Amino acid sequence: MKWVFQINEISLGPGIARTYALAGLGVLLVIYPLVVNDYWAMVGNFYGIYVLLGCSLNLIVGDAGLFNLGHAAFYAVGAYSTAILNTRWHVPTLVLLPLSAALAAMFAVVISKPILHLRGDYLCIVTIGFGEIVRIALYQNPFGLTGGPNGIFGIGRPSLFGFVFRRPWHYFYLIWAFVVLTIFAMRRLEESRLGRAWNCIREDDLAAEAMGIDTARLKLLAFALGAGVAGIAGNLFASNMTVIAPESFSFWESVLMFCIVVLGGPGSVPGVIIGAFGMFVLPELFRGFFLRSRLLVFGAAMVAMMLFRPEGLLPVQQWKRAAESRGEGARRAAAV
Amino acid sequence: MSRSRGIALFLLAIMIVGVGGCAQPKAEEKKPAAPAEPIKIGVQGPISGQWAFEGEGIARAVNLVAEQVNEKGGVLGRKIQVIQGDDKSDPKESALVAQKMVAEKVIAVVGSYASSLTEPASAIYDEAGIVHITPSSTATKLTTKGYKRFFRTCFLDDRQGLFAAEYFSKKGYKNLAVIHDNTTYAKGLAEWTKKYLEERGVKVVFFDAITPGEKDFTPTLTKVKAANPDAIYFTGYFPEGGLLCKQAKELKIQALFSGGNAVNNPEFVKIAGLDAAKGAIVTTEPLPGDLPYPEAKQFMEDYKKKYGDYPKSIWVILAADAMRLIVTAMEKTGSAEPAKIAEYLHTQVKDFPGISGPIIGFDEKGDRLGTIHKAYVVDDRGEFVPAP
Amino acid sequence: MEQLLQQLVNGITVGSVYALVALGYTMVYGILRLINFAHGEMFMLGSYFALTLIVSTRVGVLQLVPNVLLGLLLVFLFSMGLVSTVGVVVERVAYRPLRRSTRLAPIVSALGASLFIQNAVMLTYGTQYQVFPEGLLPTTVWRVFGVEVTLMRVIVLAISLGLMAALYAFVQKTPLGTAIRATALDHDAARLMGIDVDRIILTVFLIGPALGAAGGIMVGLYYRQINFTMGWTYGLKAFTAAIMGGIGNIPGAMVGGLLLGILETLGAGYISTGWKDAFAFVILIAILILRPTGLLGERVAEKT
Repeated sequence: MKWVFQINEISLGPGIARTYALAGLGVLLVIYPLVVNDYWAMVGNFYGIYVLLGCSLNLIVGDAGLFNLGHAAFYAVGAYSTAILNTRWHVPTLVLLPLSAALAAMFAVVISKPILHLRGDYLCIVTIGFGEIVRIALYQNPFGLTGGPNGIFGIGRPSLFGFVFRRPWHYFYLIWAFVVLTIFAMRRLEESRLGRAWNCIREDDLAAEAMGIDTARLKLLAFALGAGVAGIAGNLFASNMTVIAPESFSFWESVLMFCIVVLGGPGSVPGVIIGAFGMFVLPELFRGFFLRSRLLVFGAAMVAMMLFRPEGLLPVQQWKRAAESRGEGARRAAAV
Repeated sequence: MSRSRGIALFLLAIMIVGVGGCAQPKAEEKKPAAPAEPIKIGVQGPISGQWAFEGEGIARAVNLVAEQVNEKGGVLGRKIQVIQGDDKSDPKESALVAQKMVAEKVIAVVGSYASSLTEPASAIYDEAGIVHITPSSTATKLTTKGYKRFFRTCFLDDRQGLFAAEYFSKKGYKNLAVIHDNTTYAKGLAEWTKKYLEERGVKVVFFDAITPGEKDFTPTLTKVKAANPDAIYFTGYFPEGGLLCKQAKELKIQALFSGGNAVNNPEFVKIAGLDAAKGAIVTTEPLPGDLPYPEAKQFMEDYKKKYGDYPKSIWVILAADAMRLIVTAMEKTGSAEPAKIAEYLHTQVKDFPGISGPIIGFDEKGDRLGTIHKAYVVDDRGEFVPAP
Repeated sequence: MEQLLQQLVNGITVGSVYALVALGYTMVYGILRLINFAHGEMFMLGSYFALTLIVSTRVGVLQLVPNVLLGLLLVFLFSMGLVSTVGVVVERVAYRPLRRSTRLAPIVSALGASLFIQNAVMLTYGTQYQVFPEGLLPTTVWRVFGVEVTLMRVIVLAISLGLMAALYAFVQKTPLGTAIRATALDHDAARLMGIDVDRIILTVFLIGPALGAAGGIMVGLYYRQINFTMGWTYGLKAFTAAIMGGIGNIPGAMVGGLLLGILETLGAGYISTGWKDAFAFVILIAILILRPTGLLGERVAEKT
């Protein structure tokens, strides 16, 4: 892949290419929902939600290197807190957006605090465990809050200055506004001292600790921020669907998010965008073709992708690694 | 690897979708179809995933009815084309499938399986003016939203619960253990049954869920045994029902084993073993074999001929009924207009010979009228016969 | 009291199957530091192969094989062999090429393999539940101290414990077992000592799936009802058990399996059956908070 990188640099220069590409993307985002039918607009909506979820999990798995296979739990907290508060006390869903983000983040802090000292695979199973506990709780309908297997019906649609988001393409703009915002924030975060410190923890958390990074606090922060964004995704999902049920927050959903991150290249935001495309939009494109063998093909494709690109489709750029190997990253991170 | 390359790749990908999307006409621009074109009817259900056997059964039933109609020359001189949509037991997928159906311009849809799947789809079908009949979603809430073209061929949970409660209290049972499996349907039925039982002075000494897909229910049953009920009523499905019945026998629980209509399946006896299943009671719609209608027996045989086995659950039969109602409505009104079909279903259906029993009509909300539940018992040969 | 004893018997039966499946997870992890998410599917495949063999050779019905027990023994051996083959193929295709890559890639590859096998079975056998024939083994029930004990439970327990004991002896006493332990400690050092590491990995991928398959066959014979999604259900529990006992540790998997079976049964029996699976995970989390490497686990060096 090295030569591609160089050609890009010589012929266009990354700056110009990037400007053009970004402008093209922007135009496309604005036009897309206007030219497609409701079905494809809806595909775009869910794609946006998966990009959000992928970005949020990428913060935990990709940047900080913490195995989390129970991310659907945070997504569920966001969606259910929105649904419960909206259907019971009629709080507008957009008002609930920051609130469900905060609740999801708080939930993450509470559950991840005692388990952060666990390493790698142990953390992985514990997060699976939390995901399952949350899912079972949704089914069991504690205190009559979650509606059990029926889920919660009749969640209000978001409205802004009297405009009610009704059709799939209305939502498209709402969701993608958040996606763009999140992507922007993630890129800034990655390049900040915080991002570098997380990368240090990912590469070697003992060394990071020795450098003076407060690893426990930063790991907790990664979980909290990641869960917060997942909470936003949950809120958008709930108001987009107007009905939520435990099936949407299964172990499989966590697996899907995890695969989005790994497929795209852990730690890479463009990777998440491509990963979510591969895991969600591509299967949607083939909906008509393999009706019964869809998941069979999907499983085989997952294996094949990993064999051909184990580092992901768009791994983190080399410059970052280079900077870190010069010690700059570590030095900056140490200052955190 | 540069960032711009990533973005360019992404752009390309979006374009592909864009083109794919553009290639399909917009849903709103509805043009009347030319007469020679087939009439499109959708079937939506979980064709893959955990409930695959239910979704598959529903899809098979609809396809079979469509095939039979087509063999006889179709309806209104046109063939029926069935569009299948797999919602993978996921509400999100259900909304997508519904949008896809709208884009395909179907006139009616049969599905989906669980209430949480039917709900997001029903809103979309209602907006698009498509007739929507669910064979199996029993949540009361679904028909309270004023949708004019939404129907169900199943009965609400509470009717069967009422029947079961009356049956047990009439037979003199005093203490009941009610077990469900946390699926929408089973939990609903269990809760209604409990309510009606308590109104009749029958005590519910045990009420809890098991996890579907598990194999060992002895922890639950040991607890049930300690509660000492004189009957167990399981509202979930036959695979777990069979295991519960078998394991109850192994634990020497003397209580009568009984189940709801989802237990009503020959496989139940096979899993439980004849020895344990003997004497077990199920509350259910009449079995096809006991219906006076030749349609019912015929359908069962046709289904077996085509797919090698009898339908695995009652929902399959209710899906076939939904499809037959749509076809009949088109024949009777001479039109493939959703509005006419819906009007017919609301006002004209009386004593329709359903495979699941006579369909005496739908109320203004779209709920099936009447109740036809009966109690059946497993006899010495392992067959379900009407209970005395 | 009787209820408690009965629940313990229930728990031990379930737990012994968890333990058997957990061994596969723990052995692969010990050698490769890889969570073999496809292992649950080996369990499921075991029971499907056994069903096919039983139905096609009509064990116990046509008496093609003179004796039911002999027939079942053959079924066990054949299914375990077939599943071992699948296990080795999965290793070759999905894991071996990734042995030197990041730790995330094999997880996704394993999940993909699991999805593939599950759906391949669904497409071959259909979506319905499959049922083992009735009456292969007598359904005798004994009453001991007020506790109902079925013959099948005794058989399940005996076979599980027997297989576990055999595995333990194999790993502890034989040269190949010693080589496995050495490889688990340090690949490179083992290689320097003249151990063929690839052969050890192959051995592990023969034994693990075979044990999982044995669990699957017993579940099929005892409960008689199997379906293509049961690999996930049992796999997740067995994996939990392996972690609970300390992953990579063979006696740990056995202890973890039995303990998980007993504790979740007690949770279901005395608190609520609907929350049963949640208890399993709460127990796991509690154990890991107190002992971060599981009950019998030692501090394993993490490969990053």
